Amino acid sequence: MKAPIKIKQRHYSGNPQKNSPALGATIAYMGVDGLLALLHGSQGCSTFIRLQLSRHFKEPIPLNSTALLEDTAIFGGWDHLKKGIAKGADKFKPRIIGVMSSGLTETFGDDMVSALSAMRQERTDLAKLPVVLTRTADYVGSLQEGYQLATLSLLNTLSVQKVPEEAQTVALFPGAHFSPADVEELKEILALFGLKALVLPDISTSLDGHSELEPAPVVQGGITLEEIQLIPSAVAAFSFGKSMNVVGEKLKEMHGIEHFNITTLTGIEAVDSFYLKLSQISGKAIPTQLLRQRSRLLDTLADYHDQLAEKRVSVALESDHLLALTSCLTEVGSHINIALSATPLPEKHIPEGLPFAVGDLEHLEERAAGSHLIIANSNARQVAGPWKIPHLRAGLPVFDRAGVPQKVWIGYRGTQRFIFDVLNTMTTH
Amino acid sequence: MFVNLSKLHLKEECPLEDKGAPKLCMKALPGEGAERSCAFDGARVVLMPITDAAHIVHGPIACAGNSWDNRGARSSGPQLYRRGLTTDLNEMDVVYGGEKKLTQAIIEVAYTHQPKAIFVYATCVSALIGDDIDVACQEAQKEVSVPVIAVNAPGFMGDKNIGNRVSGEVLLQQIIGKEEPEEDHPFAINFIGEYNIAGDLWGILPSLDALGIKLLSSISGDARFDDIKKAHRAKLNVLVCSKSLTNLVKKMEDKWGMPYIEGSFYGIHDTSATLRAIAQKLGDQDLIERTEQHIQEQEEKTRQLIDRYKQKLAGKQAVLFTGGVKTWSMVTTLKELGIEVLAGGTQNSTPEDFLRMKALMNPEADIIEDTSAAGFLTLIAEKKPDLIVAGGKTKYLAHKTRTPFLDINHGRSLPYAGYRGMVTFAEAVHRTVFSPVWEKLRQSFPPGGEAR
Repeated sequence: MKAPIKIKQRHYSGNPQKNSPALGATIAYMGVDGLLALLHGSQGCSTFIRLQLSRHFKEPIPLNSTALLEDTAIFGGWDHLKKGIAKGADKFKPRIIGVMSSGLTETFGDDMVSALSAMRQERTDLAKLPVVLTRTADYVGSLQEGYQLATLSLLNTLSVQKVPEEAQTVALFPGAHFSPADVEELKEILALFGLKALVLPDISTSLDGHSELEPAPVVQGGITLEEIQLIPSAVAAFSFGKSMNVVGEKLKEMHGIEHFNITTLTGIEAVDSFYLKLSQISGKAIPTQLLRQRSRLLDTLADYHDQLAEKRVSVALESDHLLALTSCLTEVGSHINIALSATPLPEKHIPEGLPFAVGDLEHLEERAAGSHLIIANSNARQVAGPWKIPHLRAGLPVFDRAGVPQKVWIGYRGTQRFIFDVLNTMTTH
Repeated sequence: MFVNLSKLHLKEECPLEDKGAPKLCMKALPGEGAERSCAFDGARVVLMPITDAAHIVHGPIACAGNSWDNRGARSSGPQLYRRGLTTDLNEMDVVYGGEKKLTQAIIEVAYTHQPKAIFVYATCVSALIGDDIDVACQEAQKEVSVPVIAVNAPGFMGDKNIGNRVSGEVLLQQIIGKEEPEEDHPFAINFIGEYNIAGDLWGILPSLDALGIKLLSSISGDARFDDIKKAHRAKLNVLVCSKSLTNLVKKMEDKWGMPYIEGSFYGIHDTSATLRAIAQKLGDQDLIERTEQHIQEQEEKTRQLIDRYKQKLAGKQAVLFTGGVKTWSMVTTLKELGIEVLAGGTQNSTPEDFLRMKALMNPEADIIEDTSAAGFLTLIAEKKPDLIVAGGKTKYLAHKTRTPFLDINHGRSLPYAGYRGMVTFAEAVHRTVFSPVWEKLRQSFPPGGEAR
């Protein structure tokens, strides 16, 4: 029987774990080569996002703003958006412009579509410049929702044209919780099956923290415009995380491409079934290299089963990430003390027996007592510190541990890494 | 509380035509990538370091969610100020209004967290949907015993600087002067605009202690609400950073008669000059003499400690990109290490700070006009400095240029103020400039190919 647990209801959020949807949209935009991200809002909106993402990824975040001021609160920001797109195009020469709205502009109801077409009429030289519009009102959802919406807009706007099917090509839609290194691992796994992956968005070559030859104020690395246009040539598509299902379904609706939603890629059962599916699509047996990784994972589980069993773990994350890590922990015998999601999840997606609730880090604080481990973003240090509970950093922001964007927690190898991180965090505390 | 913008004296600071001057009253252009911040941010920066107060942001998640507990303003005691508290407005609130929710939130926060005061910040969305935060605060005040203070600086009001000023008005009208101190200390002073970033304040206090000067309150760094209430009984205000609070000190002078001086505690020269000015202004002959002696001792000691760094750093060239008092004070501080400033720029300073920077710099030095990422990259490529001194948001872009970098803004973890801070600063500059990694970054691999 499902019994989502009850937590204290308040009129405020205390130590929120949510980030703004526009921040999530920015991450998605950062996975597209040559893109200039433009936030339609006041200057603080974009500054907070740049700072938050910079301290997590240790990377500059090319995010521009339409810099709204008082007069726009009266007259609307429509004109600013028109000017902002044109100015960004002229000054930064991007291949694509990715726009997202904010609470401010959604409240006064700026029509972004008409602003764009008016701009194109005035500036015929920019008529062909690809511009993607995403509506991310700050008061609806969190990081995950914004990321999902921006990915959907990219697909909707740029993958429209029908192209001939390419054998062995698949489309992948990684979730907002995938690190750049996770995305890279995913691509490598597909290559082992002889499959070519078109990944939208692909942060593995843009936010991976590499030393560019020529730093630039637009996104460097990520999926190219041409590759996004080739997505309709895929023979199959995979989306990762429940929230990304709508993106895969959209592709199916547009181009009739078979789509599979993969809830998680952390945990042995989940990875098993994904690899079996890849084997089926590619017509290749599961590569021995991956089977070797599986065998190592099994050995690890045997070696450490006792340290994992019946450990009480409190987790606070965005819902896709939450489901991925809690299912893996349950699989190895740990108990979930509480699973706090940043935003609501349809009841059918909540696993049997998972003590699920929507909450913030103040709720975590109220519930964490007696836990052996907390898994949450760096801000949960305000909980873990005073309670003296070991704290494994996950989610966003993580600013006080090195190498987080380079961490792989998917596939057999990644699951093993996650288990090691859980064990090491508990022992070194 | 609503602040009449005309009272903030914005106009009189606007006539600067200089290239690269901060455009305080000029609108940032959409899409140009000016990378400044908003009034809400500026208002919160000033009040947030009141550490025993609760700070509630009345807005959607973007205003608090992306940014809580992200500044390095440190506390020696209470940690309540670091808590992220927001009404987290949702769609229904936007449609039906969020005033009632806010009143409830204030009452709940007061009950749960036992703050000494509660600050409530308006944001773009709450202002736009017509929520009257003053009314919500008054309603809550009926049930809450500690002061509930509304801060009306929604983001669209302007940039960071304007928000600073709004907070100055709030302090003046609702907090300062509300309580009398137990004793009348002859050498009681306030710091205005010292945020105790990375513990900067604790680098200055040893000098004040040694001289018998009492810091009545720091507005606001490691601050307690009750101390700020007594700030009107100081004999002198020392405006440390952020000229945006000039209004506050001028009005405190009018109201309570205390004079003010401006100063900086970055670098040996500025630290000594500020201490000297404090003593002069307090006017006690014995204090003045003690101060001179203290300065002499400390300068000698500090110069000895930084000498080995200075010898190695002399002749190096830097690009400086910051805001507030650091705009000019850092020019002097870098000079003390023998480092010349090739180019300087600012996003958030007042025109006065900007002019002071310009006056201190070598006439051949460049003023950074385009403060966007694009402008910054062009400048670095052209100047090829040995060192970039700037804020955290420039850090990772600077690293891409393979240039040594020092963070001097609110995200840093080391204190640079006072004599002690100067040593820490010299060590930090030396560490980055002479780090062996830069050479590796510039080597091409495989040999003869392009650098990777």
